[in-house]
Amino acid sequence: MRILVIEDDATTGSYVAEGLREEGHVVDLVENGRDGLIQATAGDYDVLVVDRMLPGLDGLALIKTLRGAGVMTPALFLTSLGGVDDRIEGLNAGGDDYLVKPFAFGELSARVAALGRRPQTTREETVLRAGDLEMDLIRRRVTRAGQEIDLLPREFALLEHLLRHKGRVQTRTMLLEAVWDISFDPQTNVVETHVSRLRAKVDKPFDRDLIKTVRGAGYMIEA
Amino acid sequence: MAAARLWSSTPVRLSLALVALFAVMSFASLTATYFIIRQPLEQNLRDTLNQEMAGFGAVPSAAALAALVRSQSEVTEPHKRIISYRLPGGLVVGNAAILADHEGYRAVSLAPGGGDIHGEFYTLTRVLHGGLMTIAVSAEPVAQLRRIFTRVFLFSLFPTMLVALGGALLLARRSQRRIDRLERALDRLARGEFGARVGPIGGVRDDLSRIAERVDAMADELESKVAALRQVSADIAHDLKTPVQRLSVQLERLAATPGLPEPAAALAERARAEAQAMIRTFHALLQIAQIEGGQPRARFARVDLASLAATFCEVYDPSAEESGHRLIAVPAAGEVPVRGDKDLLGQILANLIENALRHTPAGTEIRVATGRDATGPWLEVSDTGPGIPESERDAVFRRLYRLESSRTTPGSGLGLSLVRAIADLHEARIELSDNRPGLRVMIHFPPVPTDH
Repeated sequence: MRILVIEDDATTGSYVAEGLREEGHVVDLVENGRDGLIQATAGDYDVLVVDRMLPGLDGLALIKTLRGAGVMTPALFLTSLGGVDDRIEGLNAGGDDYLVKPFAFGELSARVAALGRRPQTTREETVLRAGDLEMDLIRRRVTRAGQEIDLLPREFALLEHLLRHKGRVQTRTMLLEAVWDISFDPQTNVVETHVSRLRAKVDKPFDRDLIKTVRGAGYMIEA
Repeated sequence: MAAARLWSSTPVRLSLALVALFAVMSFASLTATYFIIRQPLEQNLRDTLNQEMAGFGAVPSAAALAALVRSQSEVTEPHKRIISYRLPGGLVVGNAAILADHEGYRAVSLAPGGGDIHGEFYTLTRVLHGGLMTIAVSAEPVAQLRRIFTRVFLFSLFPTMLVALGGALLLARRSQRRIDRLERALDRLARGEFGARVGPIGGVRDDLSRIAERVDAMADELESKVAALRQVSADIAHDLKTPVQRLSVQLERLAATPGLPEPAAALAERARAEAQAMIRTFHALLQIAQIEGGQPRARFARVDLASLAATFCEVYDPSAEESGHRLIAVPAAGEVPVRGDKDLLGQILANLIENALRHTPAGTEIRVATGRDATGPWLEVSDTGPGIPESERDAVFRRLYRLESSRTTPGSGLGLSLVRAIADLHEARIELSDNRPGLRVMIHFPPVPTDH
């Protein structure tokens, strides 16, 4: 993917840019809002990563201007205050997601990946597959290697989310938002326990693990 | 309620005291005047009695005196003047019987119904020729004087008192309005609305208006101090967050360096975990500061506490099971709506449940319940663990405070501060109590106006 990072702090900016490059993305880095606006309008990017507070042109104003000019490139805000208001303001201005500083790089990369592939998920599928696992959304049945797996409703929802986002890391907060529709900051391993229960049914009886743990980030089912 | 407040206000109390003082003084001076006027009147009556007695005393014998008394009494109306003579043999002559055994003045009151004469009399008894001669004159002039004074008292003092009282209440209500303004401004200041001012409270320039000015001056000072403090906190946060972010990223990358020796990798991982803990504390502090700023109130919406509580119980259920706790979601009878921020209310539930999981031993039962009572919706999280000593129940809401007994368990000491800040934002009241055994956290929310 082509990604534009607009971040005034040189260190954070270069870490983010390098990290994303290591994952195989093409990354441009600019350090102020004005340059960012020019770059974002001119270049053909898949995702913008924008710091909320920027010298020259503030991150919010930048996205508003871009949206006004018809540039709909998905944008991820990096906000520093961890404030609920910042987030709402950011989303209202036309941002597509937000991430609170300080953040784990895995979370950033997972969210950037999610933004970049967003349009793909429009097609309605009725059967989701990964390896020898099959999920029938209409009959609400899960089988692996022909064996039926009995899942509780939330386990079903969790597996469905991972399958729908196959090949992309889903972070703990992303899973809480998607499966339970709650957004909070868990201090304990709540999500891990749900995933391990799911694993006990989906992976443990079989020789190959489908649900992978991505260290420092979250979980993923490989495509 | 309002009436009770009025009666307890300073102006009313002062004027009541003044009216009482005025009444006592007026009563005293009226009484004194009465006695001063009555004195010569009584003297007059005594002089009359003495003169008459002197006339009877001039009679030479008991028999003659009896004859004189008999003849005199026939022409005298007994309700004006009574004369009687008890002869030495015990026989009584005269127009009525006021009997006395010894000499001297007396005031006698004859009740109606006791005979055909009644009223008050002054009497004088003397021993004449071995018998007792008694003369009585009506004390009507004195009684009349007393009636006049009673009337004066009733018709002047009472209306005066009533008018004074009415005036006092009126004045009190006027100053009450000014005091209300003061109280409202102080209440808002106490709630943390530092922009609140009393403003001009009207009326003449007096002690109240001076207090109002001082309060406003104090509020100005407070507002600028708080603003300065917030600015400093924001600056510190701003200056810290970038290095913290860098540290976190660097440690993450260090831990992921290929070919790193195992002990170094473990160390890097531990350092990363420490940095994460620091980030969480930092994050919670910033969040508390922002919530206390009151801004999130703008996006309050209707939230069903019952289903939110059910969701959080479900989310935490496997964690609880893993640590050997029993997490019980008590189902509510229908929806329990509150006005608030869903994410923040969820944070309350998360913090309370995590607290209970963290600070109670395995086997403890944790109950999460919601409901509505007469005062509004409520949320309750209770456990059967060791509880919190009563003396420390207020302190646990303080930032970074930790019970002596929980120093060794993980946690930032900010969980309950955050709960308190969120509750305050929702104007909810937190109550910690003994669950016998264990801790019971009860949060009472203000009632939600019905949305139909």
